[in-house]
Amino acid sequence: MTEQSNRLAHGGLINRDKRLSFKFNGTGFKGYEGDTLASALLANGKGFVGRSFKYHRPRGIFSAGPEEPNALVQLRSGAHQEPNTRATVAELFDGLWASSQNHIGSLEFDLMSVTDLAAPFLSAGFYYKTFMWPKAFWEKVYEPLIRRSAGLGQLSMKDDPDTYDKGFLHCDLLIIGAGPAGLAAALTAGRSGARVIIADEDFVMGGRLNAETYGINGMEGHLWAQNAVAELAAMDNVRLMSRTTVYGAYDHGVFGALERKTDHLAQSNGKPRQILWRIYSKRSLLTAGATERPIAFPNNDRPGVMLAGAVRSYVNRYAVAPGHKVSVFTNNDDGWRTASDLQKQGVEVVAVIDVRNAPAPVSLNGVETIHGAHIVDTAGRKGLKSIKLSNGKTIATDCLAVAGGWNPNVHLTCHQRGKPEWREDILAFVPGGTLPAGMQVAGAASGTLTLKAGLQDAAQSAETILNDLGMAVKKSESFEAEDEAHSATSFWHVKTTGKRAWVDLQNDVTTKDIKLSYQEGFRSVEHLKRYSTLGMATDQGKTSNIAGLAILAECSGKTIPETGTTIFRPPYTPVPIGALAGRARGKDFRPYRLTPSHKWAEANGATFVETGNWLRAQWFARKGEKGWRDSVDREVQMTRASVGICDVTTLGKIDIQGKDAAEFLNHVYTNAFLKLPVGKTRYGLMLREDGIAYDDGTTARLGENHFVMTTTTANAVLVFRRLEFARQCLWPDLDVHLISTTDGWAQFAVAGPNSRALLQKVVDAPFDLSSEAFPFMACAELTVCGGTPARLFRISFSGELAYQIAVPSKYGNAMMGVLMQAGEEFGAIPYGTEALGVMRIEKGHAAGNELNGQTTAANLGLGGFVSAKKDCIGKTLSQRPEMNPEDDIRLVGFKPVNTQDALLAGSHFITKGERENMANDQGWMSSVAYSPSLGHSIGLGFIKNGQSRMGEIVKVVNPARGVNVEAEIVSPHFYDPEGGLQRG
Amino acid sequence: MVEYTLQLEPFLGGYAQQFEHVSLNEVDTMALISLALPNGQDGTAVVQALEASDVPNVGASCPCLNGSGTLMRMAQDQFLLCVEDVANSFEMNKDLEQKLAGIAYTTDQTHVWVALDIGGPATLTALERICPVDLDISAFDIGAVARTSMEHLGVIITRITETNFRLFSASSSAGSFLHALETSIENITT
Repeated sequence: MTEQSNRLAHGGLINRDKRLSFKFNGTGFKGYEGDTLASALLANGKGFVGRSFKYHRPRGIFSAGPEEPNALVQLRSGAHQEPNTRATVAELFDGLWASSQNHIGSLEFDLMSVTDLAAPFLSAGFYYKTFMWPKAFWEKVYEPLIRRSAGLGQLSMKDDPDTYDKGFLHCDLLIIGAGPAGLAAALTAGRSGARVIIADEDFVMGGRLNAETYGINGMEGHLWAQNAVAELAAMDNVRLMSRTTVYGAYDHGVFGALERKTDHLAQSNGKPRQILWRIYSKRSLLTAGATERPIAFPNNDRPGVMLAGAVRSYVNRYAVAPGHKVSVFTNNDDGWRTASDLQKQGVEVVAVIDVRNAPAPVSLNGVETIHGAHIVDTAGRKGLKSIKLSNGKTIATDCLAVAGGWNPNVHLTCHQRGKPEWREDILAFVPGGTLPAGMQVAGAASGTLTLKAGLQDAAQSAETILNDLGMAVKKSESFEAEDEAHSATSFWHVKTTGKRAWVDLQNDVTTKDIKLSYQEGFRSVEHLKRYSTLGMATDQGKTSNIAGLAILAECSGKTIPETGTTIFRPPYTPVPIGALAGRARGKDFRPYRLTPSHKWAEANGATFVETGNWLRAQWFARKGEKGWRDSVDREVQMTRASVGICDVTTLGKIDIQGKDAAEFLNHVYTNAFLKLPVGKTRYGLMLREDGIAYDDGTTARLGENHFVMTTTTANAVLVFRRLEFARQCLWPDLDVHLISTTDGWAQFAVAGPNSRALLQKVVDAPFDLSSEAFPFMACAELTVCGGTPARLFRISFSGELAYQIAVPSKYGNAMMGVLMQAGEEFGAIPYGTEALGVMRIEKGHAAGNELNGQTTAANLGLGGFVSAKKDCIGKTLSQRPEMNPEDDIRLVGFKPVNTQDALLAGSHFITKGERENMANDQGWMSSVAYSPSLGHSIGLGFIKNGQSRMGEIVKVVNPARGVNVEAEIVSPHFYDPEGGLQRG
Repeated sequence: MVEYTLQLEPFLGGYAQQFEHVSLNEVDTMALISLALPNGQDGTAVVQALEASDVPNVGASCPCLNGSGTLMRMAQDQFLLCVEDVANSFEMNKDLEQKLAGIAYTTDQTHVWVALDIGGPATLTALERICPVDLDISAFDIGAVARTSMEHLGVIITRITETNFRLFSASSSAGSFLHALETSIENITT
């Protein structure tokens, strides 16, 4: 084959000085800068580029835009491979690698094409009818088979090596579509000083002006567009976004747009391939043009059968002749324009077949014009060879341009449930119902299908919008352009009895399928779509919907508007999952929070664990330790024997100030806070509104009107939000103010019998740490290390004599080092969250496992903390009888009868002698640990009437993990139950 | 007398980087004090006490303390005072607590936030990739302040000059915030 044998000698908007090489199915071809993959393939005579979805019939390039249903290819290879890319919008670049898809064997000899022979059995709904029985076959045979044969392209199944980004843009006016209407509106708005964004999915702005031979203001349309783009590019207030598809219209003038940044380049060079923009607009103008629709006729799916407007695009924009003997089949005046343009470019037009018995709108020399006829069949397996007409005539032709009229691109007007309205004069749906907030529609998208009217409509719309925004308008120019003939008739399909006529090329839906759906009761357009798959998949029925509706309307004897239409949802065209994810992949999936001593911990062998967004030290391994248990056991034992230090910064800290701060706390906590003395800390419990336990922590009173609340790590943000809600909405009259200080203070638990001695070396004189001066639950503001401000709380989670000391975060890393240094003489060790957890279980403290959203204060053994003397959030509902049944569960401890047995969290309790089933379920184990202090496994759990079952032996059962051991119900306070140590 | 002393460590180690047309620097000199107005106060007394020129609207800021500080209005009942004195923020907070007794509740926020200055001709292009706020000068003038989120992180942004912004985000996630900004910048450079 000669290189670019179908490339015309002259014309087109391609750069003939820049020749590009590309491969399709392994064969090398040439094209030019400015080509799409589709135009380059056609230039090289490759019209047969794919196989159809269901019947695996040969398919060719059908359109020249995003509506393409046939020419779906896989671009690039390896991990970069992307399936289902429309060749009609894939910009050609040097080194592009593409392959056809959906065939077994080569494109030419697809083994799956035998499916076409079984077509009579594969009509609409055949899945539902065929795969009914035997039932057992569904999962093992039918589903795998269907999955294997369904779909089009294939994913590489490798990690996507490309990167993607997101972004935010703002404008007064977003113009969607940079065709003649969009550019006219942008000129008006831009010259008036409005902040304008004009976006177009094409890589060259101008829309149909680049594909037609129109003139505007005395110059060729594409040159007018070039000039307009140049003028707009020079304006600081206008942003031109080519290669950008506005794919969705959302609430409040927000739009989603996908910009293809490097898809047209061989390499991304590490830069984002695509950007997903969120565009905030005050107003929007949809100037997305119109999409041509085909006419369905027997065997209308052969390669070489194309949309007439697309044929014009290939000839005028790309200087490509899609065929050597072209015919035109039309139901409107616009089809004749194709014949005329082809002739002007020297392409042979053999016939124009117009279904109307009307005079030709243009005169064509040497072309057979046939009126009042239609096509009844075509021939040519892998490329069109001839067409057969209703008058019996057969015409040899290798390209048939089909003109069925134009549909305004109303898609984005539907995204907020706008329902298109039928316009009989143009035989198409136009935007109707409620449009997205702030949106107007102009040009062909609004049904103004001719050039001059469209330009004026758009400029006028821009003026209206600017007036609406209160901006001074610079009057737009008047346009000299033609209003081309566009008269059409409602001829949707050729009625056929035997041969198949395709309505939806992408989903292999024929006229017969639509009729069958109707016969079988799927008579609503929505049902038709789901049953037949009409209008589904990547093209979303851009070329098929109206014909499908028309045929359904015929079946029902209704008009098209009576039949209705499906409406469109985002996205307008496919958006890659990678673009939706943006940067949120792998380590960047979410932010990390580091504790102030993270660097110290990292340098000292910490293993980290994610707790929410935090990375916390889980344990600090030492040489010779064989596993995490060794490290954790050592950390517990050394803390209990001397002193251990743990970074507890992650606990939420909320600064609460105001004259009514104490009263506020009294409302949010179950227990009393009104009389908490300054310099004291108190444990507090919060309930949800429904009476379930919500969160707990300690709150310290630093001043008469100043408290510092701590929350659990997990609930830090939620509690703050809840308190803000309470402050602003429940008790707005209280003088109370909240601010989070979680990140502001590095806080360390210093626990163990030597904790006081250690802190004595750090705390500045004359602060007295003795139990008399600073007893259990005391708090103070002080200085450490020679003047660094600090806060000290004498509270204990471990059950040991313990303190929590806080310094401003920037001192946190240094403070950890100082504490360790000061503790050297006591053998101080750092401990992580595992040891922290073990010690709290040994002490019987409830944590997240126990405050799990199902338990009440009474269940937790904290019923006494719900004050009878005052009200608080959740109190009333916590007193419902249903919340306090006689056999209610209670938090207790569990000790294995055989101390060699390991308990398992999540196990259920069964009374000894009862069968192990849910009917006999007595409760569940919420937390377990190996207690190095006791030398065996211990657990906390909820069991019915737990408080009165001390000493009872129950079965601890976990059938899923094969656990079935016996345990004794004991006090949850395994370690120092009297609390003497922490008070010491 | 204790034998130990503590040194301040900037959250990002004093990060400073010049990219193509964008600079990014950690600001570790700012003391930040939150001022909450008691019920019924409109901020006039605070503004007078801090010698600010006017009561800034929510989303705006003004100089105060003879030009040594900036008072940012974060909410109807909340200001954020920024002063170049990180080492003495605690004392400053204590002083203000007394000075503003009855007219504002103060909380030292210095260590809650990491601050980064981003500037240069490509700043707006870089911020476009991460900041949902409209930063056009017509919508976000010099001195404007906004609370927003960037890559899931809460951020306070304020405009210093036409092409320079100061960003505050939670100090515990300073590393992630820096990474998000660096990525935004790297994604727009050639």
